[in-house]
Amino acid sequence: MAYRARLKEFDDILNQDVIDLNSLRKLSFQGIPDDQGKRAKCWRLLLNYLPLEKEKWDTQLEKKRALYKQFIEEMVVMPGEKESNGDVTMGDHPLSINPESEWSTFFKDNEVLLQIDKDVRRLCPDISFFQQPTEFPCLEIVNSNDIKRLHTRVQRRVLNCANVERKGLGITKIALSVKKACEDYAPMAEGKEAHWEVVERILFLYAKLNPGQGYVQGMNEIIGPIYHAFASDPDILFREHAESDSFFCFTNLMSEIRDFFIKSLDETDHGINKMMNRMLVQLKNSDMDVWLRFQQLELKPQYYSFRWITLLLSQEFPLPDVLRIWDSLFSDESRFDFLIYVCCGMIVILRNQLLSGDFPSNLKLLQNFPPMDVQDIISKAVELSKQKIF
Amino acid sequence: MAKKTYDLLFKLLLIGDSGVGKTCILFRFSDDAFTTTFISTIGIDFKIKTVELGGKKIKLQIWDTAGQERFHTITTSYYRGAMGIMLVYDITNEKSFENIVKWLRNIDEHANEDVEKMILGNKCDMSDKRTVSKERGETIAREHGIRFMETSAKANINIERAFSELAGAILEKTAGREPGDPADRVYVDRRQQPSTTKSCCN
Repeated sequence: MAYRARLKEFDDILNQDVIDLNSLRKLSFQGIPDDQGKRAKCWRLLLNYLPLEKEKWDTQLEKKRALYKQFIEEMVVMPGEKESNGDVTMGDHPLSINPESEWSTFFKDNEVLLQIDKDVRRLCPDISFFQQPTEFPCLEIVNSNDIKRLHTRVQRRVLNCANVERKGLGITKIALSVKKACEDYAPMAEGKEAHWEVVERILFLYAKLNPGQGYVQGMNEIIGPIYHAFASDPDILFREHAESDSFFCFTNLMSEIRDFFIKSLDETDHGINKMMNRMLVQLKNSDMDVWLRFQQLELKPQYYSFRWITLLLSQEFPLPDVLRIWDSLFSDESRFDFLIYVCCGMIVILRNQLLSGDFPSNLKLLQNFPPMDVQDIISKAVELSKQKIF
Repeated sequence: MAKKTYDLLFKLLLIGDSGVGKTCILFRFSDDAFTTTFISTIGIDFKIKTVELGGKKIKLQIWDTAGQERFHTITTSYYRGAMGIMLVYDITNEKSFENIVKWLRNIDEHANEDVEKMILGNKCDMSDKRTVSKERGETIAREHGIRFMETSAKANINIERAFSELAGAILEKTAGREPGDPADRVYVDRRQQPSTTKSCCN
């Protein structure tokens, strides 16, 4: 019953002509129901992808989705065509040293792609979702023999050599070695593509459009949950645009946390070191004993909270828990202050173990956070955030 | 407080390009298992394993680092405390081998001068995809006076041996620093006797 009432509360807010962002934040902070695509809906709003005025939604979605289509056309389809045609002209060719050469861009892109490819294949291995085929593959890419899929651009090709065996008199057996390593994330057949391939494309486009930042490992862990939420939307009209919608939500989210991913910004106000320091100060305020123990053991926040903060905790918990935590993080008016409290809450909840543990056992504990009800962690974080007022 | 259940504590570090199998090597060594489904390491990971060497219980504290450039500021801060560093490349990935020189320079810059090093050419089970010959690995190791081994975390080839050889080399060094206690000295059989002159890379 309470659940029904909660759903209704969401409906009441979402059915308004103009969404009341504050009410939405307050409600979403408590966790968004998994049903009816509520999470995807709320995240689109909380991540500033959709404007609060409902009448503007259609135009916004249309515009953005068309734009995304254009990105694909320019950055995936066209270069893919060029390569497969082996277009060697006088002006531009694969060995061209001209920095303007499209070939040189192509090769540089492939380096980025190689890194993305390694990571998207390693995304959320505990669930099978990303290996499943998407219902909505990018048709221009999967239905054409001539266009190279992104991951095939970075497939390592090995020249096969024939094994010549001589048996007895004059009988020669030539065997071509075709032994292939089995791939867990094998690419799909013609006309199909897996969710990880979609994520690969999103990250590739993001890297192309943000050349100063490029692709940094861990971004896959940020796009993963967003794409998962959007691609499981029961509303087909949204589900079929999960790729473009999640691309823009990811881009918006990254604009807020991208400093975590940039080495040269480590020391700046929004850089990762500042965040880790803030967490440590908060820990000192919240639990002096644990803070002291960490000092004694020289257990530095970089050892555990670097990953916590950079990835918004996405590697510390199973996906459903991550989604729940993100509901609260995205609802935070001053993003990402609440993240600091969640991190501290995680530590404080383990205080007894941490106070008696030595350096290695504590670090192991923090790096492999024990399974527990995520609600307890959120509650602890809320408690700590309220303490601060006094 | 935890009781001291070991005689010596060695801090080891695993470095190398992303995707060469550092985490898998460590997982094979610490848990004797293999999985291809590892999430990428962000920042630094940590594992412990106690081994027995020369009658001593040695606790190995092993730090597994992220390979990508972005994480270098975070990871290089661990170089200083490391007593042994394993530098991993992937025998099916030319680039990861070429970068060995870069990683060695990193070690020179950030690690203790007397840190024990070892180069590992991982994924040696994938012979059909090999692009870096064993000879090339041996050559670069010889040039820098470093131990070398080809390993496979998947097929469990040389993993245990790599760690115990590295630990053995550190033990030998540690024991060497304690005069008057020669009984502690352990003879470590090194297949590839490294050249004693440490060549500078320039």
